[in-house]
Amino acid sequence: MRNKIIVGLSVAAAALLAFNLYKVFMVLPDEINQGAIYRIIYIHVPSAITCFTCFFAAMIASALFLIRKDMRYDAVAAATTEVGLVFASVVLVTGSIWARIIWGIWWTWDARLTSMFVCWLLYAGYLMLRRAIDEPTQRARLAAVLSIFAFTDVIIVWKSIEWWRTQHPGPVLSIRNGGGMAPGMEAPIWWNYLALVMVATILIMVRMRQEDFRREIDSMRRWAHAL
Amino acid sequence: MVEARNLMYMFYGFLAAWLIVIIYVVSIAVREKHLHQELERVRRMIEQREKV
Amino acid sequence: MTPAGSIATTARHNFLTMSWLRGALAVTVKDLRSELRSKETVNASLSFALVILLLFSFAFDPSADTVREISGGLLWLVFAFAGALVLNRSYARELTNDCLDALIASPISGAQMFIGKCAANFALLLAVEAICIPVFGIFYNVRWTQHLGQLALTFLLGTWALTVIGTMFSAMTVNLRLRELMLPILVYPMMIPALMAAIRLTTVLMAGNAITGDDMIWFRVLTGFDIIFTILGIAFVEIVLIG
Repeated sequence: MRNKIIVGLSVAAAALLAFNLYKVFMVLPDEINQGAIYRIIYIHVPSAITCFTCFFAAMIASALFLIRKDMRYDAVAAATTEVGLVFASVVLVTGSIWARIIWGIWWTWDARLTSMFVCWLLYAGYLMLRRAIDEPTQRARLAAVLSIFAFTDVIIVWKSIEWWRTQHPGPVLSIRNGGGMAPGMEAPIWWNYLALVMVATILIMVRMRQEDFRREIDSMRRWAHAL
Repeated sequence: MVEARNLMYMFYGFLAAWLIVIIYVVSIAVREKHLHQELERVRRMIEQREKV
Repeated sequence: MTPAGSIATTARHNFLTMSWLRGALAVTVKDLRSELRSKETVNASLSFALVILLLFSFAFDPSADTVREISGGLLWLVFAFAGALVLNRSYARELTNDCLDALIASPISGAQMFIGKCAANFALLLAVEAICIPVFGIFYNVRWTQHLGQLALTFLLGTWALTVIGTMFSAMTVNLRLRELMLPILVYPMMIPALMAAIRLTTVLMAGNAITGDDMIWFRVLTGFDIIFTILGIAFVEIVLIG
């Protein structure tokens, strides 16, 4: 059943991505001030929102683990954080490349970029913490608390362009009561977000299947030692 | 001139993004392979112990 | 933290009452007394801070303008690194002779122990800072006594932020094999928003200007950070120590 879902989602995601790619490159006109480079927004922004969605899901899973003590929530938290970290990397790299063209610099230490980098460091630290602890219950417990602490930075990243004047552009998306984009230019962001969420879900499901597999191997190993 | 550089960087951007995702997928596949190998090892361990 | 149903649990549910504060204070006094008797951690921390300040002063030979620009960053990085020595030891010192188990078995709650330890660490860090700032003023020719009120507020808020994060993560990593490695990796990114705010404020104040208008947001950032992480720390420290 799970495999069917994975395959189904893969097909849907691939189709959506292909359609979006066509739309982004063929249909949409160049932006007045930036030229062609602005099209990176259609992978930069959806990746960012996907990344935050993943970290939000990880926080919820962590909280649920602490309340219910069910190890499956821990597996969800680990998988979503890993995938979230991948998308965070995509955001930082695509953002840098875009910045090089329009601002002339690869990086700057304004509130948004700094807090996003800190976010990456925190969740990378989460994965390191998981690897540092052998005992499963202790690992799940400490990782859950860290996940909740780390999420405070995600909130800072999201709100940073409202709270501070940053090098990074201010709020633009319609959901943020921002400056707004030209009609027709915002929709592909949300379609790409949907596609990336599907990709993230697939990766998370595959990763969780691996976690189940690992737990099976661990229990078989324990049985082998008991023999 | 600027146009060409603009377009080039845009492709680099998309390329970099998908490269990161692909590297992650490859790492998942590698991990899967290791898990299968470990499963084989544990199975063989069980068979040995059961024979004894 | 004794099992539910004992008479001690009624005491810990009365949050912030006099008895609650007395319990926390007991931990503070214990920590301060043990530290002041041996003085090892505070000496290490102070020496480390002074050595870094000294090294920087002849490594860069900064002009007056450069010093004014980097004063905040230099001071707060020094305090973050030197403070880490104090904060790391916070829970780690309880590991010998099973003192941590004894504390966990005692009638005080995890939150009381946490706040007690935070208060002790806060005092130690402030002591180190109180010595370093005049030394900084002398080595780098900086007049730091203008706007003393705002400077004091900055250092109080900033130091509490470092303390709360450091103590919390010390609790988190106390039972880990790789404690020495994991603590810096986890603590420094977590501290960055507070450090940024403190650095920005200190740089402005050391340059001789008061904090006005736009820069006031950094005070709000520090206050918000302090409140949020104190609450998070109190809420989660017992889960982290016991389960």
